[in-house]
Amino acid sequence: MRSRLVTLIGLDFGSTTCSAVVAEARLTEHCATGRRELEQAVTRYRSTLVMTPFVGQTEDVLDLEAVDQLIEGWLRAAEVKPDELFGGGALITGLAAGTANATQLTALLRKRLQDAVIATASDPCLESFVAFMGSCAKASGKEPQTPFLNLDIGGGTTNLALGMNGEVLRTGCLQIGARHLRFAPGTLRLTGASPLGRRQLQYLGIAKELGETLRLAEIECLLDYYVTLLHSACTGQRGELQTALGQQFEQVELRIPEGLPPPKLAFSGGVGALIHARLAGDTQPPSTCYGDLGPHLAERIVRSPLLHGEIVQSEHAGRATVYGLLEHATVISGSTLFVSRPELLPLRDLPILGSISSQSSPIALHDALLLLRRSPGGGALRVRLFTAGLHELRTLGVRLQESIRALHFPPTHPIVLLLAENLGKVLGAYVTGFSALNINLLVLDEISVRSARFVQLGRLQDQVIPVSFYGLLP
Amino acid sequence: MPTLTPLSAIPVPSPQPEQTYTRELLGRRFSFVGLKRLLGAADYSKAGDRSAGLSAHSEVEREAARSILSELTLAHLYEHPLTDDKGHVDAVMRVNYDIEQESFRALSGLTLGALKDHLLQAEGVEISRVGQALTGVMAAALTRLCDPHELIFLSQKIHRPTQARTLLGAPGTLSSRLQPNHPTDDLRGLTLLLYAGLSIGSGDALLGVNPAVDTVENVAAIVNLLDRVRRTLGVPTQICCLGHIKTQLACLAQGVPIEILFQSVAGTESTLVGEFDVTIELLDEAYRTMAARGPLHEQARQFLYFETGQGSEFTYGKHNGIDMSTTEALCYGLCRRYDPFMVNNVTGFIGPETHLDSFEMIVSNLQDHFMGKLLGLPMGMAPCYTLHSRITQEGQQLATELLTAAGANYYMDVCHGSDRMLAYFDTSGHDVQTLREIHGKRPGAEYLQWAIARGIFQEESGRIVRGRAWGDIGQFVSQSELATLLAATPGMHGFATAGPRPSESVSRSSRLHQAIAREAIYTELEVQSLQAALPFRIIHTAAGSKEAHLQSPDLGARLTQRSADILLTETHRVQIAVSDGLSAAAVHHNIPELVPVLLDGLQGLGLSVGQPILAPYGRVKLAESLLDRLDAELLVYLIGERPGGDAQASCSLSAYLVYRLRDPAVQEAAARFAHSPNIRFEYSVLSNIHQGGLPPLEAGAVLLEKIRDILRHQAAGNRLTALLHTH
Repeated sequence: MRSRLVTLIGLDFGSTTCSAVVAEARLTEHCATGRRELEQAVTRYRSTLVMTPFVGQTEDVLDLEAVDQLIEGWLRAAEVKPDELFGGGALITGLAAGTANATQLTALLRKRLQDAVIATASDPCLESFVAFMGSCAKASGKEPQTPFLNLDIGGGTTNLALGMNGEVLRTGCLQIGARHLRFAPGTLRLTGASPLGRRQLQYLGIAKELGETLRLAEIECLLDYYVTLLHSACTGQRGELQTALGQQFEQVELRIPEGLPPPKLAFSGGVGALIHARLAGDTQPPSTCYGDLGPHLAERIVRSPLLHGEIVQSEHAGRATVYGLLEHATVISGSTLFVSRPELLPLRDLPILGSISSQSSPIALHDALLLLRRSPGGGALRVRLFTAGLHELRTLGVRLQESIRALHFPPTHPIVLLLAENLGKVLGAYVTGFSALNINLLVLDEISVRSARFVQLGRLQDQVIPVSFYGLLP
Repeated sequence: MPTLTPLSAIPVPSPQPEQTYTRELLGRRFSFVGLKRLLGAADYSKAGDRSAGLSAHSEVEREAARSILSELTLAHLYEHPLTDDKGHVDAVMRVNYDIEQESFRALSGLTLGALKDHLLQAEGVEISRVGQALTGVMAAALTRLCDPHELIFLSQKIHRPTQARTLLGAPGTLSSRLQPNHPTDDLRGLTLLLYAGLSIGSGDALLGVNPAVDTVENVAAIVNLLDRVRRTLGVPTQICCLGHIKTQLACLAQGVPIEILFQSVAGTESTLVGEFDVTIELLDEAYRTMAARGPLHEQARQFLYFETGQGSEFTYGKHNGIDMSTTEALCYGLCRRYDPFMVNNVTGFIGPETHLDSFEMIVSNLQDHFMGKLLGLPMGMAPCYTLHSRITQEGQQLATELLTAAGANYYMDVCHGSDRMLAYFDTSGHDVQTLREIHGKRPGAEYLQWAIARGIFQEESGRIVRGRAWGDIGQFVSQSELATLLAATPGMHGFATAGPRPSESVSRSSRLHQAIAREAIYTELEVQSLQAALPFRIIHTAAGSKEAHLQSPDLGARLTQRSADILLTETHRVQIAVSDGLSAAAVHHNIPELVPVLLDGLQGLGLSVGQPILAPYGRVKLAESLLDRLDAELLVYLIGERPGGDAQASCSLSAYLVYRLRDPAVQEAAARFAHSPNIRFEYSVLSNIHQGGLPPLEAGAVLLEKIRDILRHQAAGNRLTALLHTH
């Protein structure tokens, strides 16, 4: 049995809570194809959900020292050494992503978790993607002909992802969450509001300031507005989303393909967990007990036309994002990839600069490589093959070689080619003239290239490279 | 625990000069020089014996040999131990003389013919008693006098139950060893195949896996999985991973539950030691270890498991001039020393070089079963075949009907009959259940109780019949988990059943895959179209036809004189050769893309390469002749793999990178590494090259990297791996 255990991690810093999960997965070799796969992830450690630490009451600055201590405690409890991590991700989501020092938290996470893990803030489509994968990818895979729509509703955002057969087709994001308006726990006394929350109050004619108590009718009005926007986004009937305020709520439009049957719905995130609990008849938490509109929003959604569709149980509900990060943020390259300078791995923040194919004109190939040449840290190009035959590989390889020679690439400048077929080593061989060309070329094959702006490559391990995409496109 | 007689305490008569046995029949004179020749000529004609020059040339000659044999006394056979190629009695032969001396003395004056008549009139207890007085050679000689009816009639009188955790081989039972082999030992695949077998009432003899990788880590992982499944489901059976005995003992020392210890054995010491890396001393030590520390030592009476089969000694060229069924009987004489829990016979496994067709396989199985039982062994049978022989599934099924009538203790359960790791065809759990129902047999008692409790079987008017849960894999695994397990398991055709058989759709699917794979073997190489695509030069092996190629592997390893004369010394470091091997389809599908990448790459690397060679009917060992003739350093030998039961994999190609140890210092290093002073070549292998595995274009690039490594380090195979590890 050619396999070994690897360690994966997921960390989610959301508007309300944050948590970590660590798992062990088996890196196995497929019996027929020889392809390496991650299988049988078993949770080794799951932190409790804790409130995301902010400085003061305004929740617009993260308490980095407290966060650092949290991470330290999680890693210690999970008995994880960062240099042993194989993959996973850390996301700063929702309102936490909009804080003044979210970038500093990203830097802290990168320092703490080192190179194997992506760490990023405000990547709404990636959030939507991982939430879908952690919430309903398995259920979707069992009904390959049925669309599934996951709504990951947290404190600051609702991340939408539409998928089929376990794969995400489209993503979107609304700035709808439980925590745009904050309350003294157990009351309706307003203690805080995000800028968007303030605009919503104003738009709806609710003239309340901090310290004042909202009436139930006003709360209902706020919730109705949320539900209207959610309904518009889920059905594609844009309506309210096209108003001035509606546009501010819509961060990324969910473009629903035409002709799809009505999707089954899954809810994840903190509010999603409350919705499922309510549907299951569980005892409900008192209103505003978390200091926000979570329980109210869950209750309102359950009463809404959104629920007319079929609801499926979310696999990880409140922790869908962190589990999705853990298991799906990192994919594995093929095992016969081409790596001319393995010692220069890992590579972070490589921009994906475009697509090329054997049908690209010499000028188009040259332009794509010129863009890559000008990118200071190198970059990646998607490679599309048509016949995947000898002639196509040879032709493309030789043309790329000519352009690379003409552009005088420095020997350490990373050139990454991403392709879906198991042909990485042979394409790399032709591009480099069978290693005659001294360049830093990586051809990663058997990669289902996501629509993303960036890619991150881990170290070469067991002949494969962990690959993570971020800056996902809807 | 029986005491093991020290080898030095086993009396063996000194070897005698070879005697000529002569018989005149109807004016024709037949002479046989030496007992080995006589035994060989007296047996049914089989491919291996024919190749070894031991078979009779005619039925009359065979009957002449049999009539001589019939009149030889047991004492004569006793006094003429068969010797090895140096004229010595080897250790295996010596063990065979560890018999009940008192019983032997009482029988020694009987001729073989008289002994046969006596046994045909005797009860089973007497037959068993006589068996303990016989050496393997005596049993083999007696077998030659028996026709199939007699082999079955005598065998079915002998019962040889054994006891580990459960009782195996009780009268009225027919058991199975569940053999969930997987090409990469994927634990998910193993689990699926275990569940599939258990759901149809298999595995009452053993849950036993042949590992793809024989390391302590891997064998331990497999045994632990088997243990977990057995415990979780509460299956009353025993578990085993059929790694090398040394690997299993190392696992046992680490606390891995090696309940039953396995080893393949051979009927000559040179094969046993030289090929299987096992000595009598090691087997003795293993036996004592299991008796003292095996997990079942407090409850089991037996705990060893041996596998044998006619022809391994011949295939390795270490048969000492002894025919296949006699060496097989000598195996049994060796197994008897250790009072094993199971002996499994896999005659048919090797290929047409030992057993050409269904008749040869069937008759050998009947002989083996009888010889084993006579010598006191608990015989399980695995009448099996590879697709390059003429043995068919129909022949295999006929063998099982006859062997069940003869009282075989158990068969294999290989899911759909197609072994995913060993690329051969064996019996299935459906076969076992079908045989149980035809012959009125039932599983072992303890297992049966478990299976009745689960609804897999039920009792109806004193009969055991299939229950509602028979064939329902869902009793062990959810639908979603099943999908995961299926994704990790090749060659699955469905679980639907009709009566005790697979459903029609399942049967058609598996037979179609088998037919496609067999066709790949018999397809001729399309030489002209290959030459049109690539600048091949054609050379010929000594195999002049597809039949000769398949039946005599040594022919495909030799050049014809004419081809040898054409191939002269060249100055190229690297040569490329292509042969159909056992799948011309593999060449047709892969070579047109793979070879151009190799040629481009070798040129790019600045390595000189000769004109590619196309050698129809070639075998792997041909590489050595080619390297010697061309005086090259490295040969890339691309050759079709032996197809198993998967249609796509029948197009699978292997690439052998054969490095010639020209430099004396390099040869010395290689000899030291391999403990083989005369080593001349080292091999690296890349297999599974086809569009569904490693695509040919990508394989070309992978091979180029390996070529570079081999030439840089002047090493291939395990030595290269070790060198790369240290760099």
